[in-house]
Amino acid sequence: MMAGADPKWQKDAADQNFDYMFKLLIIGNSSVGKTSFLFRYADDSFTSAFVSTVGIDFKVKTVFRHDKRVKLQIWDTAGQERYRTITTAYYRGAMGFILMYDITNEESFNSVQDWVTQIKTYSWDNAQVILVGNKCDMEDDRVISFERGKQLAEQLGVEFFETSAKENMNVKAVFERLVDIICDKMSDSLDTDPNLMSGSGKGQRLTDAPQGPQTGNCNC
Amino acid sequence: MNEEIDDSEFYHEDFTTASDWEILVAHMEEIINQGKSEEKNESSTAAGLWEIKSEKLVYIDSNFDFIWYKKNCDEDLSEGSDDKSKHPLDKWHDFTLEEYSEDQFKDICLAKWYGLDEFLVLSPAGKIGATNNESRAKILLSAAAVVANNSSIEVPLFIQVKDKWQQVYLGVYEANNIRTSFDIVHLKRGLYYCQYLTGLLDLFKTKIRSPCTIENIFVSYQGTYQLQEFGNFIWKQDVLSNSMDIESLYILPFGVTVDPLQTLLLKAIWSRLSEHSVIDTESYTDFDPMKAQKWHCEAVFTQEPICLLGDALGEFLELLNNDSSVYDVLGDFAVMHVPESHPLDLLTESPVPSFSHLLSRAARSSLISNKRGNPPLNEGVLVPLLYFLFPDADENSMFPYGVKDEKEPIQKKFKLFQSLDDQFKGFKTSNEDSLIWRLSIVLSHTLQTLGGIKAFCHIWYEFVQEMRYRWENSMLIPGVTPGMPDLRTCLLNQKLQMLNCCLERKITRETVKYSSAENSEDSDDEFFDATDDVEEDKRKYSLWDKPAGRLSKFGDMKLLNSGDPLYIPFTQDPVLKTEDQLEEDTDILLKLGTNQEASELRARIMSASLLSDMESFKAANPGSLVEDFIRWYSPRDWIESEELDEHGQKKGTLSPRMQLEDNIWVEMWENARPVPANRQKRLFDDTREAEKVLQFLDFRTMSQISELLVPILSHAAICRLVDEIENLSSAIPDAESRVLSLLKHGERISRDTKFQPKRFEVFTQEVIALELNISQINSLQYKLNPQGVDDEDVNRSIGDLAHGKPIKIENKEQSLIGSRIVSMFTESQRLHSSSVSPNDHQDLPKSPDVIFPVAVQKEFVLRANCVRPSLYSAKSPQFLRAVLGKAEFRLVGAFSEDTAFF
Repeated sequence: MMAGADPKWQKDAADQNFDYMFKLLIIGNSSVGKTSFLFRYADDSFTSAFVSTVGIDFKVKTVFRHDKRVKLQIWDTAGQERYRTITTAYYRGAMGFILMYDITNEESFNSVQDWVTQIKTYSWDNAQVILVGNKCDMEDDRVISFERGKQLAEQLGVEFFETSAKENMNVKAVFERLVDIICDKMSDSLDTDPNLMSGSGKGQRLTDAPQGPQTGNCNC
Repeated sequence: MNEEIDDSEFYHEDFTTASDWEILVAHMEEIINQGKSEEKNESSTAAGLWEIKSEKLVYIDSNFDFIWYKKNCDEDLSEGSDDKSKHPLDKWHDFTLEEYSEDQFKDICLAKWYGLDEFLVLSPAGKIGATNNESRAKILLSAAAVVANNSSIEVPLFIQVKDKWQQVYLGVYEANNIRTSFDIVHLKRGLYYCQYLTGLLDLFKTKIRSPCTIENIFVSYQGTYQLQEFGNFIWKQDVLSNSMDIESLYILPFGVTVDPLQTLLLKAIWSRLSEHSVIDTESYTDFDPMKAQKWHCEAVFTQEPICLLGDALGEFLELLNNDSSVYDVLGDFAVMHVPESHPLDLLTESPVPSFSHLLSRAARSSLISNKRGNPPLNEGVLVPLLYFLFPDADENSMFPYGVKDEKEPIQKKFKLFQSLDDQFKGFKTSNEDSLIWRLSIVLSHTLQTLGGIKAFCHIWYEFVQEMRYRWENSMLIPGVTPGMPDLRTCLLNQKLQMLNCCLERKITRETVKYSSAENSEDSDDEFFDATDDVEEDKRKYSLWDKPAGRLSKFGDMKLLNSGDPLYIPFTQDPVLKTEDQLEEDTDILLKLGTNQEASELRARIMSASLLSDMESFKAANPGSLVEDFIRWYSPRDWIESEELDEHGQKKGTLSPRMQLEDNIWVEMWENARPVPANRQKRLFDDTREAEKVLQFLDFRTMSQISELLVPILSHAAICRLVDEIENLSSAIPDAESRVLSLLKHGERISRDTKFQPKRFEVFTQEVIALELNISQINSLQYKLNPQGVDDEDVNRSIGDLAHGKPIKIENKEQSLIGSRIVSMFTESQRLHSSSVSPNDHQDLPKSPDVIFPVAVQKEFVLRANCVRPSLYSAKSPQFLRAVLGKAEFRLVGAFSEDTAFF
């Protein structure tokens, strides 16, 4: 119903200008700063308030890693309890999760375990997770110490960062690290499972030359 | 023009006088020297038993392969340090246990005949190349002799002559002042006097022509006896179960249809006897197998027998290319269900006659009651199968769902995996022994034995009809994991889960309707409102503003305006989606693009449930504000302050993001009307969704059905294999890794977004290989160890045999396997002698205790150390092997001479 005649949609659909595509999800309680975090990364902008996400939204960013173009399709989810059934349906096929809490909010930190359970339940086994404590610019309101976050991450066996979307601290680092661990994991199992990265059917093998209309797309 | 000299040709003219023959010799020497220097550098760590280096050579107009065979052996250590100076014939490898795979190394027979560990072969390239010309053979042999002389390799060098299949070689070896010539005679029928040892000894002595008497000739002998009639011990999978039992259709087929063991070869071996201690003539022989020094045994397996399990998978593989629909195949038999095309028809005539009781379900099947000829499956088969799929239709069913685990106390011999279920974690499949599990098993039987594609379609058709019947009659589908569509399972399972969810909602709705009809004084409200304060409420609210659809109070929160308790409303059930639908949704979201408008558009698309919740909330809480809603729905967006309001609760404000202009939340709140959930437009229309599922099932093509079932079938096939492996007495050594490989393939197949038939083909091949191995072991076990004695040695021997390795039978007939072999030979002989007429005693000596038939192949090895060619020459090894087969007679000789004193 949405496939209109607007040419820009078609262009986007045909945009195969990448070597791999990773589907990433940002999850965490409501108003921990998921949308701000994503905007900071994808658009390098910060607004103090974004409209609370309804359901699920996404942004795309292409990064380079080892001379390969990696297209990141980053899904931003609504944190409200009522949206759980909708958002968990999108966990499938995600290769990485950014699990976010707010260092000024105890409750969001306490929910981390629940979110991990959600990931375990609804995603594939090989999905990678990074725990992120956001809003670390608000040192005065901090209730979760860095050590507590670190400790929890170790307990869960995931990596940990404290970030600030507002001050642009560690935002890029989180994504880069996540891409790195996904790539590592991928090359581990690449020979055994060349299709790992094509969870969405659009990725390509490491060794394959990028196909599709990429040459035609070049406007220079 | 013609007289012009071609410059390039002129300058490339070779003015040396080397002949082609000399060039050939030089080439061979070069290769040998190169090989030797390489050998020094590398520590031989090659994995295989034989190391092989091959080079190409050209001589005049023919191509040759020059191949170096070398055995990777570490037994050198045991044989002593003077090994190097030892003549290669003196290894005494007369009859070894080694397996010589001739497919891989075509000249390996030389190693077998002469007992060599290392040798070189110059043979015509290609499959049919031949050196038939005698003078040519001589030229090549003399080249070989020069090479052997020049290069100090102490390795025999062979030339292959005659047609390749004949395996005739000439060879030469030269070292330590001894030259050995290798020669082979290959005939269809042996010379009369060469059939027995006496004649061969004479031949050997004549051939040696030693100037002095030959001291002692050592004789080795091997007689091969073959057993092909296994009498009562023919093994087929069917042996254990009665052939056409309907219950055999309830598990996947397994095993082979013919005995996988074709022949059992027994080799009776004597080694290094003195020529004087044995007699073997036409009338008398000392070589009675029962008195042999050693017994070796080897199994020959049937080539590519049909493996039922692999075959079943293969049928599905084939189906993947079939794009016709069920209705195409069934033709007139099936009545197409055209939903709601003629709504009135539905009222007057149900497409499926609905009988009151399920027990008569077979009769309501429109296929059977059809008068247009016989359906593909007759009732006798169809009905039990349907009862198997839908055991809830029979109160006394033997096969209800979900009880299998309890009645499985059989102790397995060993467990391949601690928990097999864990291995299927990443598999997109269904639960074991679920409805679709059974369905795929039944369908595989239909393809294989019950009538092929037509029967397949018949079952599928009946299955879909039953789904429809159950939907129309509000009966839950059995054997489906409860809950919403689980995206970790296969698509077919999700579809059935979806159908069941729809059914559940339909059933709830109907029961509520029924009960509310009984308590007709009440409104048609299906919810039970939270009752407290109802009376008070009634006073408060006007008729059109009555609260509705309250679930419960939300703590002690009060509405900001009125101070009335804040109620959580009944909300609509979540929208359910199967993975294909989700994918469509995702595609739509993705196609919108990434800009701001697209983002807002996505929010609108996703906001249906938000609006529904708002309307429910408004209905339950008349006079509420958006702040009230947010306090319930997104509490983090309500920022409390320490001040209290007039109702005694903390004052607060909406978070900045909720106060943004053109905020979709606020905007929607303003547009929301107070409507309780039960009167809203349904977000999830179970009737529509159920119909979608039914249509989905109804209009699958053969290949689509096959695709849907492949994940479950792969799962079931692995379970079946593991079950068989765990019941085996002798373990297949690489069973675990092979099953793991199957699991990996299967998992990938089940998770591929786009189904790849090639993968399933590979999977099927692996299944067949493993199934065949299992059957071979079963067959050997049945023959050699019918009592199932748990003996490690016996099990290992059977395992080796199944792997095509020859085994040595310790203690001959006193061992378990040995005694079994003897009794099987005896049995076979008895069967044979009773069928053969008594005057035909040529093959069959009539003594009563004859156990073994005539040897199918006899092999003699004669060895001597003689002075040759003159009296004062040094002693050198002489060798003759005679292979006497039914259609072949071969003499393999090697005769040495002293090259220093002749």
